[in-house]
Amino acid sequence: MTIFSLYIFDRHCDCIYYQDWHRTRPIRPPSIPNFRPGVHRLPPPLDPLAAQSTVRESIFDRDHAVSNVITTNGARVLSGSTPATNRGYTGLPFDEETKLVYGVVLSMRNMVKKLSGRDETFTSYRTNTYKLHLYETLTGYRFVLLSDPSTDSLRFVLRQIYVGPFVDYVVRNPMVQLDSRTEGIDNDHFRAAVDAHMRGLSMFGT
Amino acid sequence: MTVHALWVINKAGGLVFSRSYSDTLPPLPLNTVLILAGTLHGVHAITSRISPGGGGGGMESFEAEGWGGRVFLTATGTKFVVLHSLPHPGLEELLLKVYEIYADAVMKNPFHTPEMPINSSLFETRLQALMIAANTA
Repeated sequence: MTIFSLYIFDRHCDCIYYQDWHRTRPIRPPSIPNFRPGVHRLPPPLDPLAAQSTVRESIFDRDHAVSNVITTNGARVLSGSTPATNRGYTGLPFDEETKLVYGVVLSMRNMVKKLSGRDETFTSYRTNTYKLHLYETLTGYRFVLLSDPSTDSLRFVLRQIYVGPFVDYVVRNPMVQLDSRTEGIDNDHFRAAVDAHMRGLSMFGT
Repeated sequence: MTVHALWVINKAGGLVFSRSYSDTLPPLPLNTVLILAGTLHGVHAITSRISPGGGGGGMESFEAEGWGGRVFLTATGTKFVVLHSLPHPGLEELLLKVYEIYADAVMKNPFHTPEMPINSSLFETRLQALMIAANTA
């Protein structure tokens, strides 16, 4: 029983907060043009070459051992060893991953609505490696939690985070700009409160 | 458990069979169901890419408030999607039976073209009997 990660999306479809706990595959930091402050605490990419180049890769690629990197002068370089963004990371960059998570949530939500013919809410889905839980607020915030596939519904945890830390340290915090579209909502109090809440759960593994 | 509907999706994401077995979910035009099946196929591919541990398969089941869906992927890439009520005891056995009926009535039929829509009265009647038994149990 473990908890993997938490994403919060606002009504503009932007990811405004991210935190993870037991991810066995570390997430790759986003490239500099796609870096948004105040969302996560991942280290920014260091290599200047990686900042200039745009990495084009299909989301359907299974392995990223060789990917085509197009540098600003138009030369095609086969990566795999050169860019620092790939070192030690096998997954998608943060910004790509959040887009996929949001896309899946939105598609499933619309599908459930179409199939049931009324305003029924999509709550969760499960694969053999993880389970995704969704809690949607009336103001359009979407809380997404990834956990172990065997857990029961954890929507109550997302609701607790919303009525507890989120209202206390984000909504009532004059320093946080809600709906800014350029910045996230990250602050020390919120991060610490979410962390403490998660660690206090019985399903939070070691 | 009540089975609301069954879809069969081929490995390219096309809907090759769909039947409704209860009236809990409203009837949808075939075009809408085709779109939803294609969406599900895409979502299934993406869900395996956002796994926090890396690797792993795609979506196996999803839940709304009063009902859920189970996606059963065969080794050859065909997907069976069962929409059902919650809770769902005996769903795994039902899926294996559906797969068995598919193998018997569709795959062993020499007049069936693989990956094309299923037009088999044997398949339909055997499924109908299975679903009636499951829905009345």
